[in-house]
Amino acid sequence: MTIDYNELKKGGFLRQRQKDNFIVRFRSLAGNLTSEQLRQLADLADKYGKGYVHVTTRQGAEIPWVGINDYNDMKGEIKALGLNTGTCGPRIRTVVACPGREICQFGLMNSRETAIELDGTFFGREVPMKTKIAVSGCPNSCAKPQENDIGLVGAVEPILCAEKCAGCGLCQKVCPHQAISMVDGKPTIDRAKCLLEGNCISSCPTDAWQEGRRGYLLYAGGKIGRKPRLGQVVAEFVPENQVTESVEKVLKAFDVLSQQGERIADTIARVGVKAFRDEVAWTGIESKLYDGPVNSRTGSSTGDLGKEVG
Amino acid sequence: MENLKIDAELDITADVCPITFVKTKLKLEQMQRGEILEVVLNDGEPIQNVPRSVKGEGHKIILVEKRGENYRLLIERGE
Ligand code: SF4
Ligand code: SF4
Repeated sequence: MTIDYNELKKGGFLRQRQKDNFIVRFRSLAGNLTSEQLRQLADLADKYGKGYVHVTTRQGAEIPWVGINDYNDMKGEIKALGLNTGTCGPRIRTVVACPGREICQFGLMNSRETAIELDGTFFGREVPMKTKIAVSGCPNSCAKPQENDIGLVGAVEPILCAEKCAGCGLCQKVCPHQAISMVDGKPTIDRAKCLLEGNCISSCPTDAWQEGRRGYLLYAGGKIGRKPRLGQVVAEFVPENQVTESVEKVLKAFDVLSQQGERIADTIARVGVKAFRDEVAWTGIESKLYDGPVNSRTGSSTGDLGKEVG
Repeated sequence: MENLKIDAELDITADVCPITFVKTKLKLEQMQRGEILEVVLNDGEPIQNVPRSVKGEGHKIILVEKRGENYRLLIERGE
């Protein structure tokens, strides 16, 4: 039997070190597998593998030790069950996500919903180099978006409604980054230190801290591998209904600026994050409430944010 | 503020997350709406997380003050 390894790879069959054995890669949808799917995977692992699955770092599951003679049978069975196989090679990979606002008490955005939407549009798309996308519901960044080529991080901008403030000083104490100080009995915020996770908003007894903009910070240029690099912010406060469009813009900017063999991280390292940002040219929503100086993140300090959050 | 009637007291300075909030929540649940609980808690992680969780459960923080190394919170039991 002649084997077309590229065809196999597309279908999630990866060559194993041992001759004539394959690893079959499955993917989850934004990190969730139903109990039904888990039972099906367990059965497949018993039938075709060695009775175990390997849980991948990208929220997938792999069944190793599938013999070459079982390839057709197993492929048919996977298809009939409707299980999703993964991909590899120069394609957009499974979009991973943290649990997000749906269940996480810290969540600012519905990271899973966003990831499912992005996955539907981008998964498997052929690109010059492998491209990974991750979505986190808040700056705690549990899905490690800064380690991906493209990362989305839920964020909220705190705005002070001074008339409501009772001057209790709780916000100063709850801020994990000492971004708030009390001056003449009222809080003032240092926007450069604020990580946009909104603890001041969710703690304030009088609701003096309110939500300004809420959306995703869009990171680009993260990767792990042999030379790890953290992504940097290339767009801010992307609303839920514009995530696909904004990711498309990042891919487009990469397409315009990249040289052969580069991943987004390499391109940004060569041209600088400012040039990349300018190419992405995301205008997004402007805050109407915010009265302070222009958000420090729109300038050259974006690199620092990448480091801080990472 | 200081002539508020305190109905119950709780010291969570010996506890860590998530027991800090769990104890606070349980205590509040035993109280009546409008009653006031005094909580003494540590700086750092407890002061960053307990107030947000208390507010998230619909109670009202009416006072925060530093007390030596620790903090003192007065919480009014909500619905
Ligand atoms: S990144 Fe935020 S929303 Fe997502 S799981 Fe972590 S704490 Fe929760
Ligand atoms: S959003 Fe978070 S980091 Fe920013 S000021 Fe509020 S508590 Fe501090």
